[in-house]
Amino acid sequence: MISSPLSDWGIYIHIPFCRSRCTYCDFNTVTGMGEDDYARYVEALLLQWDRISKMPSGHVVSIFFGGGTPSLLEPEYFKQILGAVKDKLRISLEGVEVTMEANPGTIDEKRLREYRRAGVNRLSLGVQAWQDHHLRRINRTHTVLDARQGVEAARLAGFDNINLDLIYGLPQQTLAEWEESLTGVLGLEVDHLSLYQLQIEEGTPLAGQLQRGRLRVPEDDVSADMAELGRKRLIQAGFIPYEISNYCRPHKHSRHNRLYWTLNPYLALGAGAHGYWNARRWWSIRGVKQYVDNLQNGGDGIAGEERLDRLEEMREYIWLGLREEGGFSRRRFQDRFSVSPEGSFGVTLGKLGRQGLVERRSDYILLSRRGREMANYVFREFVTAS
Amino acid sequence: MNQAEIRNFSIIAHIDHGKSTLADRLIERTGTLSAREMAPQVLDSMELERERGITIKAQAVRLDYEHEGKVYELNLIDTPGHVDFTYEVSRALEACEGALLVVDAAQGVEAQTLANLYLALEHDLTVIPVINKIDLPNANPEKVQEELMDIGLDGTEAILVSAKLGIGIEETLAQVVSRIPPPKGQVEAVLRALIFDSRFDSYKGVLVYIRVVDGSLRVGDQILFMATGASFEVTEIGVFRPHPTAVSTLSTGEVGFFAASIKTVQDTHVGDTVTLASRPAQEPLPGYRPAQSMVFSGLYPVDSSDYGRLREALERLRLNDASLSFEPETSAALGFGFRAGFLGLLHLDVVQERLEREYNLSLITTAPNVVYQVRLVNGEEIRVDNPALMPPAGEIQEIQEPMVNASIITPSEYIGAVMELAQERRGIYKDLSYIDKQRALLNYLLPLGEIMFDFFDQLKSRTRGYASFDYQWSGNMPADLVRLDILINGEVVDAFSMIVHRDKAYHRGRSLVEKLRELIPRQLFEVPLQAAIGGRVIARETVKAMRKDVLAKCYGGDITRKRKLLEKQKEGKKRMKSVGSVEIPQEAFMAILRVSDK
Ligand SMILES: Nc1nc2c(ncn2[C@@H]2O[C@H](COP(=O)(O)OP(=O)(O)OP(=O)(O)O)[C@@H](O)[C@H]2O)c(=O)[nH]1
Ligand code: SF4
Ligand SMILES: [Mg+2]
Repeated sequence: MISSPLSDWGIYIHIPFCRSRCTYCDFNTVTGMGEDDYARYVEALLLQWDRISKMPSGHVVSIFFGGGTPSLLEPEYFKQILGAVKDKLRISLEGVEVTMEANPGTIDEKRLREYRRAGVNRLSLGVQAWQDHHLRRINRTHTVLDARQGVEAARLAGFDNINLDLIYGLPQQTLAEWEESLTGVLGLEVDHLSLYQLQIEEGTPLAGQLQRGRLRVPEDDVSADMAELGRKRLIQAGFIPYEISNYCRPHKHSRHNRLYWTLNPYLALGAGAHGYWNARRWWSIRGVKQYVDNLQNGGDGIAGEERLDRLEEMREYIWLGLREEGGFSRRRFQDRFSVSPEGSFGVTLGKLGRQGLVERRSDYILLSRRGREMANYVFREFVTAS
Repeated sequence: MNQAEIRNFSIIAHIDHGKSTLADRLIERTGTLSAREMAPQVLDSMELERERGITIKAQAVRLDYEHEGKVYELNLIDTPGHVDFTYEVSRALEACEGALLVVDAAQGVEAQTLANLYLALEHDLTVIPVINKIDLPNANPEKVQEELMDIGLDGTEAILVSAKLGIGIEETLAQVVSRIPPPKGQVEAVLRALIFDSRFDSYKGVLVYIRVVDGSLRVGDQILFMATGASFEVTEIGVFRPHPTAVSTLSTGEVGFFAASIKTVQDTHVGDTVTLASRPAQEPLPGYRPAQSMVFSGLYPVDSSDYGRLREALERLRLNDASLSFEPETSAALGFGFRAGFLGLLHLDVVQERLEREYNLSLITTAPNVVYQVRLVNGEEIRVDNPALMPPAGEIQEIQEPMVNASIITPSEYIGAVMELAQERRGIYKDLSYIDKQRALLNYLLPLGEIMFDFFDQLKSRTRGYASFDYQWSGNMPADLVRLDILINGEVVDAFSMIVHRDKAYHRGRSLVEKLRELIPRQLFEVPLQAAIGGRVIARETVKAMRKDVLAKCYGGDITRKRKLLEKQKEGKKRMKSVGSVEIPQEAFMAILRVSDK
């Protein structure tokens, strides 16, 4: 896999609205908003875009609408936002990956066609499971049928780059059900699949249900089986595993996600969105109302930032780079930091090598098979204890 | 103050019989604290005391009490009731002429009532019995009066009190004045003051708590510690009301404290005599018998760079806890630390918590053990306070273990259950007597090592909470003991070694490796756990290798969060000790405590 040039960059746009909240979700999203709120929010987004004064110099290769549920917004808004991006950067969207996340049940062929016409060329659908009882239990608002129809509609609307998200380790989920989910999504013949292990986030309704013993998530060994099975089934079906939780058909990897793992710049628009550029990581105001007010009152919408020193950047570069199946390029590291990875982390890499967790293949440093299973163990070697 | 108008007394009792609550009422009635400043058990000022609802430190307070036209100075010392803190009580009694012996009107005389009474009598104190909690619906003061008769006190003279409702408080104060004699010392003689406690203050240096026996002390005096020979100029003198309050002098019979910019903690010894450098006393006061440590445990900093801070913290804590002893030791598994001696497990627990809270340290304590006297085949005698240092069986002629004389008071219907428990713990029956028609006093000789852990809990549960228990050290006895080792990943981990009776070794080893299997998290590799006696493996368990440790997704918005999560996990790992390549959580080192013989 060819790494993107150091100068490629992307834009992340956050749409913090959902119809109702999934029980495991701790993303920045609100429910119960209406068209007026959406309109004001998009206005604020455009103001924030306007007020960005400096841009990275390379090429924009990706624009990503994430959520929340971006598909709650009318296609017209996408046209406005993408139009503003084109105008300011004086580019066409030709060759740019423009992704939107969508929830099944919020989209039909007509609407999808309009998104497509607005410039969106990649669709990411949250399918999550192939059993309605699981979808209900985690408070998803759609059914399995919605997911199937959503994919069909997207194809008809002209999307030739579709991703589906699937979750394993759901409460009460069995290995057989997981296999059924895998078979289900594979049957839809999409271009890209993300398999996520359910994360229990503090303060979510799910965390409460688990604590009270109302629900149980599968044992560690079972979720390890699920991960293994997922990888095996997808590879058998012709998918290429290219990152810890991402699989694609040839040439259909997500350019956007890869920007993150290669520490390329990305700008951020929208409440709570994170940007990264020039060793600076910043984030917008999280609260939707506060975010909108701030921009209406002439602010830039930014809530905070952190600066990574060179050593921290190198560390992040390594552990994020190791997430990719092919690892990271030593030459690219050297180009960026003017030192080889071994020059800075020789002892650690040596130890991980001896433990059989990390390998070197020509120019690349990557996780071994065992290293992939124990990725956090490896990554912890590249952070400092808090 | 005129010496004849001073009264020094302690409040002593079995645990929870209401000493601190009675002290509250005395403080209130004498107007020492205003209503606004009062709180329940106001003298229990340590955070730990308030959390646990028990007194840990003896606490002195000066009260001014007006009685029949005269103002008396009452120096009251509230004492702890738990058996682990008996040393605090005995030091407090040394500073007093009398004691209020509090007995719960519903519970009656209990094991520490007796133990504390005997202590008071040893010190020749006037003992005034107080029957407290007479407000309780199941209070039975007449029965308690009878019980007091049985233990040699005049029950009819006992004051009937409800510390909760404030009944009998005036009567208590009046009797303190009329029955307890004033202090005897000589005003004109050279200064002799007994150090009964001390504490480190980061601004003033060591605060020395004293009872003036002869002479008097003034600000500006150059004092001399008779045992250490160190000399200082007194910068401040104070009394407890109960907050430290400055005064200009302490005279014969009075209780208070002084500061003298003492920065080296080694200069001050509890039990030492303070005199004047210009006119030193001929003879020091008798002082205290040093406390005898009953149980020992290794104390290690989680972060080995904290060793120096731990040493300093222990030295300072010892100022305020004369019963704590410690010396440096090293462990292959845990690095540099200390072997510390304690009066019991509660004491150990309190010391560990105080070190962690007051000195901000993070510690690993190894499972506590008693101290063994070992005679080697070559005739040499050694003392072993760390099981890992027990020589190989082949070199040992005989091991002796410490024994205690245990007094157990129980309702008669549970005598059988108590005897059974004592039997299981290798107890040797001594005698049985009756306190009254319903309650018996059982005496057993028991190995200290057998009562350390859960004996008291077992006693309570087998007698539905009715039995009480006290013990004193009572020499050593030979026993068939062996060293049990734990091997992790094939290596003996010294911090896990323990000495057990041969008959119980197999079972202990088995349950310990099972417990460790639960406590040691899965690692990168499979980890074998073994229990062995003298090289022979008697039990084995395996911690399976961890199969998967992965952050499922990681995109732009949550890179910082994911990094923080990894950092937090790493910090968590830092709190574990790596032994070989195995990460062992702190709790594992105390696992032995939770392993029963059943
Ligand atoms: N009903 C009633 N309860 C009382 C009375 N005196 C104390 N108590 C309660 O008994 C419990 C123990 O009281 P403390 O004063 O802490 O007893 P203590 O003897 O100082 O306990 P230690 O210092 O731990 O040995 C508390 O819950 C008090 O509220 C009383 O006169 N009547
Ligand atoms: S759809 Fe996504 S963002 Fe919205 S509540 Fe569910 S998980 Fe959260
Ligand atoms: Mg008390």
